[in-house]
Amino acid sequence: MNQYKMTASARNVLFGAMGLGLVCMVLTWFGDDANHTRFWSNFLQNSLFFTMIAAMGLFFNAAGITAYAGWYTTFKRLWESYSMFIGVGLLFLVILGLGNYFGWHHLYHWADKSSVETDTILKGKSSFLNSNWYLFGTIIFGGAWAFIAYRMRQLSLQEDNHGDSSFKYHKAQRVYAAVTLPVIGFTSAAMLWLWLMSVDAHWYSTLFAWYATTSAFVAMISITILMIIYLKFNGYLSVVNANHLHDLGKFLFAFSVFWTYLWFSQFMLIWYANIGEETIYFKERYNNYPALFFMNIGINFLVPFFALMRNDLKRKAGSLVFVSILMLLGHWLDYFLMVKPGVLLTAQHMSHDMTHGHEVAEHASNFVPGFSMPGLLEFGTFIGFLGLFVYFSLVVLSKAGLVPKNDPYIEESMHHHVI
Amino acid sequence: MANIENRELIYGLYNDEEDLLRAVKSAKNDHLEIYDVYTPFPVHGLDEVMELEESRLHIAGFIYGGLGTLTAFLGMTWIFVKDWPTIFGGKPYWSVPAFIPITFEMTVLFAAIGMTVTFYLVSGLGPGVVNTQLDPRITDDKFCIAFDKAMVDSGDVEMFFKNTGASEVNSKNI
Repeated sequence: MNQYKMTASARNVLFGAMGLGLVCMVLTWFGDDANHTRFWSNFLQNSLFFTMIAAMGLFFNAAGITAYAGWYTTFKRLWESYSMFIGVGLLFLVILGLGNYFGWHHLYHWADKSSVETDTILKGKSSFLNSNWYLFGTIIFGGAWAFIAYRMRQLSLQEDNHGDSSFKYHKAQRVYAAVTLPVIGFTSAAMLWLWLMSVDAHWYSTLFAWYATTSAFVAMISITILMIIYLKFNGYLSVVNANHLHDLGKFLFAFSVFWTYLWFSQFMLIWYANIGEETIYFKERYNNYPALFFMNIGINFLVPFFALMRNDLKRKAGSLVFVSILMLLGHWLDYFLMVKPGVLLTAQHMSHDMTHGHEVAEHASNFVPGFSMPGLLEFGTFIGFLGLFVYFSLVVLSKAGLVPKNDPYIEESMHHHVI
Repeated sequence: MANIENRELIYGLYNDEEDLLRAVKSAKNDHLEIYDVYTPFPVHGLDEVMELEESRLHIAGFIYGGLGTLTAFLGMTWIFVKDWPTIFGGKPYWSVPAFIPITFEMTVLFAAIGMTVTFYLVSGLGPGVVNTQLDPRITDDKFCIAFDKAMVDSGDVEMFFKNTGASEVNSKNI
């Protein structure tokens, strides 16, 4: 079966997930503080997480094409379908961008005019950390990713129908791919500073964009493994075999180690230099989020490191599904830990400004539902976004043959053999 | 390790790895017990058709790596906490984050050197060891299947080499 067709039960499950997510978001909205901080921070975390996963799908497909890689060609439609989600994710981020102008949310300290005026650091950064950069950066750079993703998929589909031995469609994709790499490489870093790092507006780390990107990359590989196994289980993608999964398992293993390397590098340099304005980031997380802080490194490093070290465990569906689910949750948690503490501090700071009292600041280290720990509403929202992402990807997948035809690397990929 | 006893080997040379793979498969079908196969480079799928066991070298690697981790971490802990307590940059004696990079490097070093030495020992390689080659061309462009004359019937083997397209058949004492 080369043509994917979504079954009614799969559609029901995914709509159910999206419905659950919507219900959870509505519940969050109404049980929230005046600024709806919990709702907006969940919205930011999940939009960003899945947009970055989609962007990584595009990036890795482009990297593979540029590197003349053939191993993944049998399932490259998956990454193409992920990359189409960039458009949806951008819609969410544009909503956040507009929110900066109209005061819909107060996620970003730098978006608050009165804070910026009295704050030297925020003032100094205001040429980059401002609402215009946020919104137009999102639209222009994100739009460029979405455009490239769309063009690359179109070329890939045209290759299916009209491809011949001149491989002109593949060559055109190669041009797009080569352009994509620096474009995504540089702009994703800049946009991650705005979208994500600037929730801790006083703090910065030069490593942060890599770290957040790698986190999304590992999550993208996890989703790919889960979806391949799901599709194979339903009788599709019979040309994808243990060798392809083995390579994906290697990427899951290797990039988990790479993620740990970045996590640790960021931590150690800041710990060693011991400069107050840098350590604040880790001090906040270490003191007020100790369980999440250690769970993050535990799940995202120790689990894949030991569970995927052996060859045979990278080739078996059971162990791969187990690790992939944990990695997906683990890196979602990682994003949680990147977003929430900064947002909470901003919220406390702003309500402190508004009331001119000390009562809020004094409670800063108390348990705050939805921030100190992801609650049921957070997981519900995550399931909703996951449902949307998977539904969208499957709909895109069903629009074309699952296994590409006329791709110059398809034969190589079918005979891919690693041990 | 294999070269200690005196054996008489009968071996055939092939020009192409595809021929070799086919020949190994048909030897398995004919129940001819292959002594060993020699190739100038690793041939994909050969392990599988020869039904070789998976190498246990990586288990040794894991143990050496673990040994390196412990050596580095416990070593630094003993030195900087117990033997000669030293303050660097106002950090505590037992500064775990500062130990991590060195621990990592020692893990890699121990695993790499340990695996190399183990591999050399197991394969009977090393400085000063003289290995007898069946034919120098198996390090260049020939693919070789060798049978132990004591284990197989010479007539069968010669028949086998002829049928599978060996370009040359020789025998040698090693």
